[in-house]
Amino acid sequence: MTTRSERQILDGELLDWMGESPWCHDEARFEALALRLFAHQFERCAPYRQFAEARGISAGRLGSWREIPAVPTGAFKEMALRCFPPEDTRRIFRTSGTSGQKRGELHLDDLEIYRASSLASLRSLLFPDLPRGEASARIPMRILAPSAGEAPDSSLSQMFEFLLRELGGPGSGIDVVEGRLQTGPLIAALEDAAARGEAIALCGTAFAFVHLLEALEKANIRLALAERSRVMETGGFKGRSREVPRREFYAALGDRLAVPDSRIINQYGMTELGSQFYDSLYVDPDGPRRKLGPPWVRVRIVDPETGRETEPGEAGMIVIHDLANRGSVAAIQTADLGRSIPASRDGAMGFEILGREPGAEARGCSIAADEMLAEDASETQSLENENGSESGKPRFA
Amino acid sequence: MSDLTIQWPDAQSERVEAAKGRLDVAGARLRSRSQEGVLSVLASVFELWRDPTSRWRRKLLAEYPGVAGFLPETARVGLDLALADWTGEALCKAFETELPGLEQASSPRISPFSMTSVLLAGAIPMPSLLACVLPLGVRSPVLVKSASRDPFTPRLLAESIAEVDPELGRCIEVVSFPSDDAECLGRFMAAECVVANGSDSTIREIARQIRPSQRFVAYGHKLSLAIVAADSCRDESSLEAMAHAISLDVALWDQLGCLSPVALYVLGKDAATHVAAVTDGLANALARREAELPRGPIDLEAAAMIRTERDGARMRAAAGASVELRESAGTQWTVIGEAESDWRPAPLHRFLRVHAVPNLDALANAIRPIARNLSSVAISGFEKAGRETRELGHRLSLLGASRICPAGRLQAPPLDWPRDGRPIVLPLCRFTQLESAPSQPR
Repeated sequence: MTTRSERQILDGELLDWMGESPWCHDEARFEALALRLFAHQFERCAPYRQFAEARGISAGRLGSWREIPAVPTGAFKEMALRCFPPEDTRRIFRTSGTSGQKRGELHLDDLEIYRASSLASLRSLLFPDLPRGEASARIPMRILAPSAGEAPDSSLSQMFEFLLRELGGPGSGIDVVEGRLQTGPLIAALEDAAARGEAIALCGTAFAFVHLLEALEKANIRLALAERSRVMETGGFKGRSREVPRREFYAALGDRLAVPDSRIINQYGMTELGSQFYDSLYVDPDGPRRKLGPPWVRVRIVDPETGRETEPGEAGMIVIHDLANRGSVAAIQTADLGRSIPASRDGAMGFEILGREPGAEARGCSIAADEMLAEDASETQSLENENGSESGKPRFA
Repeated sequence: MSDLTIQWPDAQSERVEAAKGRLDVAGARLRSRSQEGVLSVLASVFELWRDPTSRWRRKLLAEYPGVAGFLPETARVGLDLALADWTGEALCKAFETELPGLEQASSPRISPFSMTSVLLAGAIPMPSLLACVLPLGVRSPVLVKSASRDPFTPRLLAESIAEVDPELGRCIEVVSFPSDDAECLGRFMAAECVVANGSDSTIREIARQIRPSQRFVAYGHKLSLAIVAADSCRDESSLEAMAHAISLDVALWDQLGCLSPVALYVLGKDAATHVAAVTDGLANALARREAELPRGPIDLEAAAMIRTERDGARMRAAAGASVELRESAGTQWTVIGEAESDWRPAPLHRFLRVHAVPNLDALANAIRPIARNLSSVAISGFEKAGRETRELGHRLSLLGASRICPAGRLQAPPLDWPRDGRPIVLPLCRFTQLESAPSQPR
């Protein structure tokens, strides 16, 4: 009974925070909740406890959330990191991958926190212009990803389903069916919206957008979507046989759909996280493009050589502390590199994700063998497997 | 005064075209020379490069390590070891072995390609040296695109050839341009024979642009392994000697070459019981190597991958797996004794995993995922097991290994080693069969 009540108390406080608008970036509130959540996870997740103890860390001794040990995303492929009995599992989200490859798993005993966190970020960072609680608070939406029914282990599909239910207006729909992008109905819907001058939101994986662009090019169609239309793309081209430079990708979206760069938002998320990050363009159009997340998430940029946090603006590994990960482990060390960007007006730290320089040559003639294996896998994937969020890192050339 | 600047439309591609023009002229002279004479000059050049005190070696060591990312001492030891046996005689022998009896009238004649374009990659000088010299040995002028991390080796080689034989020196041209410069690349690859080194994706990209009439010789990604007999791990001195030797294979070129071992397999019935000791032995040896031959600086991406894999090992150990992690304070070296034989990511930069496999079938299963990229295998502790060693060699060759050598010798391949399992000279040759008229019918 004690276990459930502790969980319920944490859930209640988190849901309260997620329901607040506008967001409140309260450092003391985050600190207190993060330390309590760590104590909860330390007690209930044996591998995490042993991982922490091997580093000399225990729950009662931490002075700051910054000292909470982060587990690498790869650990989600190796073991079930959950803070509840296996029989309480309600849903498992899995990272993308092909048969034979290990896939990371996020076990959830409750979808409500995932739903609340995802929707709060979408509302604040992608749809801040939609008034809450009014009839006009919906917008036609086309989803370039499979439905949650078709891809039940895709966290992205689940998030899109929540989004459709919450904010999708008439004319909304899912355009990936049985693993294939239904370009005909999708283009028809876009033509209809353009003809009526009605704004539309297109959300999906970057690779699915490439399929749409190819279809538009093949049919020689250029659409002028209404001014408030927007594109949210995610997932990049990881493991794909084709990579499209990001600038080229955005230029093609502008050319074929008349959606300017300022209305194309990249989402950075991953299966292992309950929260997501979005480009800052809607909330800070005059500031530098950077990733922003909700106030119950903190990002640290860590020097991989020393394990210490880097100075502001210096590059390092992205470590995320996401309180929405109540049922698993809140502190996640990603394999991605990033750099912090000065705080926005409301106090939220922003960051950018760094990739290998275009055309940069890898050192030596040998490479990490997993890259070779990934090349093998790249030819076999279809959109059906598109979770698009395994490591979240956009693989733009 | 006008401040107008005249910009050549595409200076880089014009430079490539000009180099090809010069090679056309030099190639005509080259084809009129005897192959024996050309080989004799190249043998002299190789002797110069073999000498650690020669000015070419000194120049290379003065300029190269900083750009390639190696520390000078590590690069020096790597060059000393690798070039020690690359004698002029060894070079001539490689040609004689692959092209025997060419002087006999009944043999097919070599018709040299009018030009061979060689695309270099990586940061290790030896493959570049050989790749530039071999086409010249069959009297084909050579156009070289240097690798961004080693622009020095081909340039210094060209200078050294010119010093020994100015006419032959005019038969090698070194160009440099960004790899995404399609115009330059197109002109560069218009040669009759194209040799490409690089990542598998680079090779695929280039292959798409090769015409069927062109000869295409490609060297893609490769990696190497080490295998240790479990029985030999019982003896402390054998184990130490093995670790010392393997640590050299790992430390040289900071584990970035095709010949660098990225995983070690302990092979034998009770192999699993030796993983911890082998891990410790290798950790100690790599720590000593770091003091003698420090690793060069690494980029953030590589450091992040090392950290990620180390933390992954910690998590597996925390979850109860029998995983042994030994590491330097920074990212200089890492050894992970794994509980399973499954292939795991290899971040390189002196990062080695140790796996146990009870028998050859298990070994074959473990390395099958990377078999198509397998280059060389260092073995240790099999000296007394004659039949087993032969069987091991047989299985490894079937899996694709093109070289099996003692531990500590991975970075010193013989000059005539059939890289990637094929001859090194023959693919660069075009042959003409001369047939005499049939005798009069009776």
